[in-house]
Amino acid sequence: MSENNEKKVHGVVAEYTSVDTLLSACRRVRDAGYVKTDAFTPFPVHGIDKALGIKPTVLPWIVLGAGLTGTATALVMQIWMNTIDYPYIISGKPFLSLPAFMPVAFELTVLFASFGAFFGMWALNGLPKFSNPVFTDPRFDRVTDDRFFLYVDSKDDQFDQGGVEKLLGDTETDYVQTVVDDDSSDKVPKPFFMMWGLVVGLSVIPLLIVLKMRVSNSSQPRFHVFYDMDFSPAKDAQQYSTLFRDGRAMRPDVPGTVARGEEQADLNYMTGINMEALTAIDRPRAERLVRRFNPYFQGETDSAEDAKADVAEDAGQGDASGQGDADQKTQGSEPESAAAAAGDDTSETTGSESTDTDGGASQPAVAEEKPSVMDTTPWLDSNPLVLNEKVLADGRRNFGIYCSVCHGMNGSGNGLVNVRAQKIISPDWIQPSSLHQETLYADKYPDGKLFSTISNGIRKMPGYSGQIKTRDRWAIVAYVRALQLSQNASIEQFKDIDESERAKVLKEQADTKKALKEKADAEAKAAKEKADAEAAKAST
Amino acid sequence: MSLAIPNGLDNSVEQPGERAPLVLGDTTYHDITEAVCQVAERKPSTSWVIGFLISFALLQWLGICILYLIYTGVGVWGNRSPVFWGWPIVNFVFWVGIGHAGTLISAILFLFRQEWRTSINRAAEAMTIFAVVCAGTFPGIHVGRAWLAFWLAPYPSLNLWMWPQFRSPLLWDVFAVSTYGTVSLLFWYMGMVPDLATFRDRSVNKWRRMAYGLLSLGWSGSSRHWMRYEKAYALLAAFAAPLVLSVHTIVSFDFAVSQVPGWHTTIFPPYFVAGAIFSGFAMVLTLMIPARKMLGLENLITIRHLDNMCKIILATGSIVGLAYGTEFFIAWYGQVQEEKFAFTNRAFGPYWWAYWTMVTCNVISPQLFWFKKLRTTPWMIVAVCIFVNIGMWFERFVIVVTSLSRDYLPSAWAYFSPTWVDWSMLIGSFGLFFTLFLLFCRLMPVINMAETKSTLAKQYHVANDGDH
Repeated sequence: MSENNEKKVHGVVAEYTSVDTLLSACRRVRDAGYVKTDAFTPFPVHGIDKALGIKPTVLPWIVLGAGLTGTATALVMQIWMNTIDYPYIISGKPFLSLPAFMPVAFELTVLFASFGAFFGMWALNGLPKFSNPVFTDPRFDRVTDDRFFLYVDSKDDQFDQGGVEKLLGDTETDYVQTVVDDDSSDKVPKPFFMMWGLVVGLSVIPLLIVLKMRVSNSSQPRFHVFYDMDFSPAKDAQQYSTLFRDGRAMRPDVPGTVARGEEQADLNYMTGINMEALTAIDRPRAERLVRRFNPYFQGETDSAEDAKADVAEDAGQGDASGQGDADQKTQGSEPESAAAAAGDDTSETTGSESTDTDGGASQPAVAEEKPSVMDTTPWLDSNPLVLNEKVLADGRRNFGIYCSVCHGMNGSGNGLVNVRAQKIISPDWIQPSSLHQETLYADKYPDGKLFSTISNGIRKMPGYSGQIKTRDRWAIVAYVRALQLSQNASIEQFKDIDESERAKVLKEQADTKKALKEKADAEAKAAKEKADAEAAKAST
Repeated sequence: MSLAIPNGLDNSVEQPGERAPLVLGDTTYHDITEAVCQVAERKPSTSWVIGFLISFALLQWLGICILYLIYTGVGVWGNRSPVFWGWPIVNFVFWVGIGHAGTLISAILFLFRQEWRTSINRAAEAMTIFAVVCAGTFPGIHVGRAWLAFWLAPYPSLNLWMWPQFRSPLLWDVFAVSTYGTVSLLFWYMGMVPDLATFRDRSVNKWRRMAYGLLSLGWSGSSRHWMRYEKAYALLAAFAAPLVLSVHTIVSFDFAVSQVPGWHTTIFPPYFVAGAIFSGFAMVLTLMIPARKMLGLENLITIRHLDNMCKIILATGSIVGLAYGTEFFIAWYGQVQEEKFAFTNRAFGPYWWAYWTMVTCNVISPQLFWFKKLRTTPWMIVAVCIFVNIGMWFERFVIVVTSLSRDYLPSAWAYFSPTWVDWSMLIGSFGLFFTLFLLFCRLMPVINMAETKSTLAKQYHVANDGDH
């Protein structure tokens, strides 16, 4: 002990082999009045804080502060990011929706509090500290194994080396030693510095490269890590392709394709209007129709009215034109204006009509006062198709697909959609028309007008020009006429039936009428009897 | 090396009025130090080298697959419409689940003063961290452009001019899993510092001493340090306990907050947490039983430890089984057509084989642990635990794939088939996990020496009661 006197003495340490001997030594040192003491143990010894007189730590308060900081950080961050700086519209929920911000708030509270506990503990312990005078004693290595040490620091007011050594020597120990300055080099070994320098140097290189590239110009083409992300392998128009024998990337249309806007049919057929007559009475409207169906038309235009009409179309026929876009097959060589105009084609004559149509049809009284455009239009009187069995079959098929859901298979206006709407008492439902009312017969509702209604819609009914081909819409017109005939034909319309057949039909007609009347009478009678019986029952 | 004392005591027997010893044999403090340090100090055994080489090869294969994936695109996976959350997410949930046992053992059992945790918590915590590493890999590469995965972080971006969407469970997940990984790492490292100091003080090699010296931060074992250390440890345990519950809860939100039939159920959070603990404990046992044998730690990781863990597996396995039943009951009781279909489809649809594999492994096999014979026979425990691991992987597969492959629109239905890349990545992730775990066994203290010594001190204290 005395040979260490030249060096600065930090304190005195004594070694113990068990918890109990350590604890009793601690109590003795404490009772002797020493304050700057410490015990070193391989595991936490319970009761030693009392034996040494160690005060409780402030760590929990640091952790509390860190945790609250975490909560606040998370909430402020989320509210700032998602409510103030960049509000997201999610399912119509409020921008400030606290419940959704709770998970992240919880996680950050835990994270910050854990950082507080972890770093706070090391900071309070004054670690990391790689040079500690107690480490100079070779026996001290066993403090992390199975030995217990008690240490009295020389900074203690009462410290007196001889006295402390004697006090410790009296406890159950075999080993008391003074702790002196570490005389080994306190320099960090060179290789460590070299390693550290190497790691830092290497890690800075990518950053420097990025920085250099940010500030300098280069004549080299860009380097593409993912070539096909920068240059899509999909071909552009007019490019060469090895996929097809003809080498063209753009494929020609399938034979028989009619691109929308390129249908080379006459306008009467397309619109259901006698264009010649319309030109005579309403030239601007006729020209608008021509433009709509023929994008290459170069006539005089009334741009303001045209634009207004287009707006009306967009409002009224949005769904139909959407369908049209999907159907259309635009040729690659077609000018862009044609593609843009193609969308309009689907709505045909609706521009000036659809709004009037609504007014005219649902409010006949108004229509009488001021003749609607529906009434003044020179509709085609007859179906331009040559009627045969195939046309009627096609009409029937398309009627079954598109019309029957509302109008019913027999056209009485009681299709499944209507039945459902009546059942749920839908407030904005307008009952589909029965096709068997007199106002819809060919004499009052010409074929052209019926065609236009199918194409452009009326009231709740949307236009079907986008879904049903022109020819099939005419076929439906023909089938509707056949339907009307099937329900309301009179025998007088059939001139070329021989007399016996006519008599048979008339007889059947009379029989049916009679049977229906009898049935109705019987039902009325039964109902009356039932009512009477109930009344009698009620009175008794 | 005095652990040669034969393990004569069966500490799985309950003696009324007496605590079963948690450290067996005539073990002293020094014996514990020796037993744990020799694992890292002696030359690696042949089995360790072989295991490490296999794992490391699989890890390389995983790396190659990830490079291939990043270079080619996510089309190399079997993820096709409508199953865009195929195996990567199955593997993610599987590994996150595995990662639950460690912190549960460390935190919740610590708070409940279950001292038997002391000799298993270190390895279990290490397992947690490695499992979270495996788990974190999958969503990272599943984002498609993995080099832009940092967009998940809420940083002020001059390119995007926007912030992450904090109402999305997927973002909650980012915060939950990264917080869990970080806190687990802090907890694990902090618990290891005193033991790293032991390694430092036993090192004879200068470099080894320096490396462990740096890692142990100059730990001296001072009582003042110990006091703050224990306080910090208890606080971390108190935070980690709700954190464990929150992580898998939030992972389950990824599913439950959506509207896919079979996912949109409120039972998911508790059911996922129970499943996670279940799978985590099964994985701990699968690793610990061979490890305790190979590393010669039978007196520290005793039959009683295994017995206790088997009981937890039995309890959580029963919760999981009950949850499966409840799901079906609610699907029937709720009378929502899509839900009813989703569950009928799970059990009897095209993935019936996955469903019944899951039920066999997860519901039936843990019930074997009612028999004490099975709970105390190591090889039988390993067998059951491997089944549980398989079953829990299939559980995630069933949830992710069957629900997505047949949701509302029958026209969009499709059957999911994994590709070789899917298989390679699943197997490769085990390579990553075992590489890290085997390195840990070689380089770090596998058992918490300080805590085990304090358990031993209490044991002495009880034995010599009143004579100090």
